[in-house]
Amino acid sequence: MQADYWLIGGQVQGVGFRPYIYRLATELCLLGWVKNLSGQVEIHVQGTETQLHTFATQLLKHPPPLAKPFILQHTACALVAVNSFSIASSLQTQADIHVPPDYFICDDCLHELHNPCDRHYHYPFINCTQCGARYTLIQRLPYDRADTSMANFPLCADCQAEYDNPSNRRFHAQPLACPACGVGLCFREAQTATTPFIYNARQTATALSACVQALQAGKIVAIKGIGGYHLLCLARSDTAIQRLRTRKARPDKPLAVMFPIHGKDGLTFIRQQLQVSPVAARCLSSPVRPIVLLPRRTDCNLSAFLAPQLNEIGAMLPYSPLHHLLLTALAEPIVATSANLSGEPVLTDNQLVEQRLQTVADAFLHHNREIIRPADDSVMRVIHQQPRPLRIGRGLAPLELTLPFRLPYPVLAVGAQLKNTIALAWEQRVVMSPHIGDLGTARSIDVFNQIINDLQRLYAVSATAVICDAHPQYASSRWAKQSGLPVHSVYHHHAHASAIAGEFPQALPWLVFTWDGVGLGQDGTLWGGDALYGQAGAWQRVARMRPFSLLGGDKVGREPYRSAAGLCWEVGLPFSVATIDSDLLYHAWQKRLNCVTTTSVGRLFDAAAVLIGFSPVVSYEGQAPMFLESLCCSQISHDIPMLPLSRVGDLWESDWSPLLPYLQTTQSSQQIRAEGFHQAMAQALLQQALKIRTEKTVGQIGLTGGVFQNRYLTELVIAQLNAVGFEVFLPTQLPCNDGGMSFGQIIEAGNRLLERV
Amino acid sequence: MQDTHITLAHGNGGRLMRELIEQLFAKHLHNPTLNTQLDATTLPWSASQLVVTTDGFIVKPLEFSGGNIGSLAIHGTVNDLAVAGAKPLYITLNAFIEEGLEIAILERLIISMAQAAQQAGVSVVAGDTKVVQRGEGGGLYLATTGFGVRIATQSLDFSTIQAGDALLISGAVGNHGIAVMLAREQFGLRGDLQSDSACVFPLTEALLPFTGLRFMRDPTRGGLATVAHEISQATGHALVLEQPTIPIHDSVQTVCDMLGYDPLYLACEGRVVAVIAADQAEQALAIWKTLPQGQQAAIIGHVQTGYARVILRTALGGERLLEELEDDPLPRIC
Ligand SMILES: [Fe+3]
Ligand SMILES: [Mg+2]
Ligand SMILES: [Zn+2]
Ligand SMILES: [Zn+2]
Repeated sequence: MQADYWLIGGQVQGVGFRPYIYRLATELCLLGWVKNLSGQVEIHVQGTETQLHTFATQLLKHPPPLAKPFILQHTACALVAVNSFSIASSLQTQADIHVPPDYFICDDCLHELHNPCDRHYHYPFINCTQCGARYTLIQRLPYDRADTSMANFPLCADCQAEYDNPSNRRFHAQPLACPACGVGLCFREAQTATTPFIYNARQTATALSACVQALQAGKIVAIKGIGGYHLLCLARSDTAIQRLRTRKARPDKPLAVMFPIHGKDGLTFIRQQLQVSPVAARCLSSPVRPIVLLPRRTDCNLSAFLAPQLNEIGAMLPYSPLHHLLLTALAEPIVATSANLSGEPVLTDNQLVEQRLQTVADAFLHHNREIIRPADDSVMRVIHQQPRPLRIGRGLAPLELTLPFRLPYPVLAVGAQLKNTIALAWEQRVVMSPHIGDLGTARSIDVFNQIINDLQRLYAVSATAVICDAHPQYASSRWAKQSGLPVHSVYHHHAHASAIAGEFPQALPWLVFTWDGVGLGQDGTLWGGDALYGQAGAWQRVARMRPFSLLGGDKVGREPYRSAAGLCWEVGLPFSVATIDSDLLYHAWQKRLNCVTTTSVGRLFDAAAVLIGFSPVVSYEGQAPMFLESLCCSQISHDIPMLPLSRVGDLWESDWSPLLPYLQTTQSSQQIRAEGFHQAMAQALLQQALKIRTEKTVGQIGLTGGVFQNRYLTELVIAQLNAVGFEVFLPTQLPCNDGGMSFGQIIEAGNRLLERV
Repeated sequence: MQDTHITLAHGNGGRLMRELIEQLFAKHLHNPTLNTQLDATTLPWSASQLVVTTDGFIVKPLEFSGGNIGSLAIHGTVNDLAVAGAKPLYITLNAFIEEGLEIAILERLIISMAQAAQQAGVSVVAGDTKVVQRGEGGGLYLATTGFGVRIATQSLDFSTIQAGDALLISGAVGNHGIAVMLAREQFGLRGDLQSDSACVFPLTEALLPFTGLRFMRDPTRGGLATVAHEISQATGHALVLEQPTIPIHDSVQTVCDMLGYDPLYLACEGRVVAVIAADQAEQALAIWKTLPQGQQAAIIGHVQTGYARVILRTALGGERLLEELEDDPLPRIC
């Protein structure tokens, strides 16, 4: 007889890891215990050498699907007097804490959900150790029911028995409950706001069918899910969707669609409408259950109003039991868009949603489990054969990554102004929040403050310094200055470049193309079309687009004609659009009034769209570039203008001016000009890279910034760079847009902090 | 006065200076208490509470649609007294004139000042002129001190503001800022766009009978948004502004839309922001609307518990944060 001591780290909390160890040890007739150390798991096993050897080989072989264990320590130890194997009670220590994201419903629970003989039949909040909400319902750690939003639901005898039984998959499943003791639904028509909310099992069944009927009748229903409310309506009904668009004052922005699970791999309904590559299929069915952007099939009969003028639709599968029940009953695709007012984080509160959406939704389907903090759906797009996150949200966040260095003290990075996320980092760990949104609204700031407090509290880490963007007018930068903590500011594109360098720390030195909207650069102008050389903490700008003027401040985002005017006037060409009197703007441009200098490629895309004839004014940021991309479908190379590359000071500069006549010529179709524009931009990038390689050692190239959400451009660029022998990296775990900024800020500032230590 | 332009000799204490003062300043600003012969003036005074303010005026260009630096100096000074609950009575004037200023222009400015003073019911009771070298001043700088008698019985102080109080504005915002900008950049006139420069005493006086009147301010530099921030920070409460209710002239909105300015941050020179108990707001508004300057007055928001910040609620119910004014706003779209 001998004894082994194991210390297991990684994702081992709230995922059924201890019951798994219990089963394994008892199967092997080992004695000892498994114990939670509020984050890590400690195992003491004793038995014969063979038994212990089998245990060691089995330990990491078949852990529960959601667990991500790794061995921190394995040593022989002294024998202890025990006569069984047990799960010892939790010990609260200062060990590694992992807050799990919200998981999609597992197959076992799904089976019970649809089984009329099971006592959980049609319980819309069924869950077990392998599935269910976590991040959005945990109040504080360690993860115990009393510290979740299930605290006010006392367990019935049946549920208690499951909770206490180590061989049951609901053993210590903190949010477990059943129709008898659990969460209820409540369906309310709009304009009944004064009546009380009632929840009970009978109500739940009628609420569900009333909701299904309302949707079938073409109504818009706000439905409370895992990380917030969705607005739902039929995805095939033009009138329902148009009504939703009018009421939300959202004329064009794409709406996501949730499809019922159907067929062998569950994707039959999606395949009927959209093109699903094998990579996309895996992504759709992955535990994250994200929204995946997929090209429409030519015979797609979903409403054309889902994504006007675009050829992709955001599709997702139902992920919570409630969504399963609804979609099964409806048996058809449904619009499922975040219930919020533009730019705000998704709404989570029963009363607030009725108040804020009283003129948007016809009805509400509430439940009485509180959402402690919001999490929007994650969004992915397959680019260059891999799913890339465009938005980190439910199922992914809190997203944990390992730092390529060890921090001397904990730091908090507060991200950008738009698509804000925050990140908390200490030692070698970094944890990123889900997408918070545009920090220009009161509600985003409230959530931003809450998440900053919650992450530090949950992980029992207090930041001793704050990292923010160098742009002083970002709300996050203002917050940093008022935090009372030491502040390190990071230039926007340094953070973009460092984010990719942090994802692939083995690659050095880098040449990173940071193409996006605008961000404050080192020289006080607004960058957005630049190439940075070096490594995190030491970037050197080596190339850029020819600078031009942006007129009218933040208005450039929704008024792409301003970018087109800026380009034309820069080179002495006239610019005018029929619907806009640009005389005054021209005078303002001449006098440099509210006018800034930029190298932004995002704004070049805006301009190009307008110059080929797209609407001079749009209703959401990025609409013009998305339209431009959607015109591109062929791989044919066009006769394109080359962008002259010249030396300006210590930079290589590509001149976009030959594009202006090319884009405006009516001799060729919009499609050809759009494709030609993309090809010309890809060529410009290639020429810059080749030129820089003649001067410097270029290990590999990184592509990041919001522009590389554009698949057509990104894949063109990669093909061309690969053809001349460059190795190319794209962000894979983080969004290339400003959603990845907080991580990049940690990497960039972290490298500089370490230099000083 | 044979010269057509100001020379350094106009400031040397000799004949030219005497002529300048007598033939321009004293002539137009004449009133019984103004005595240019004496070093100081004696004023009749019987009130218990004297209210004093001082102000300097620099504006480029000196003349703009709806006003000029002369009228502006009177309005700016009397308005500061008026919003403090006082009736403006006297003004002193310092003029710093740049060598080379055309005397005809100077005379226009002084006439305009005299008219503004007369309309506001104030007398310029003392003054001084200096001439600065060419290139050292923007044509004309004015410095004023205003005296008034306190007629308000309320304390009119940030400390009286309570959550729930209503916010009123007496008229459309941004006109002055845009009128001056258009004149400065020589963009030409845009329709009927004029500065709102005016004396607000009739407006402030009309609210004084209200026991629930808490506070008044004229939203000059930094505009309505800046006054909102001042109130919010001084009280620790949130200020909620209802965007659709804020009066803005179409021509101002059009220019702002085109150039990317926010009218809420632009200067007004003839408006009053008042904080008043919610239950008296409608009545106060009704009274303002009977006055010629208050035709477009509106209840535009309220004070809300919570921490200090300014929220702009849009027509759709969105809640945008109005940040504090920046020197040089840069785009943040990425
Ligand atoms: Fe960016
Ligand atoms: Mg003043
Ligand atoms: Zn399950
Ligand atoms: Zn139960």
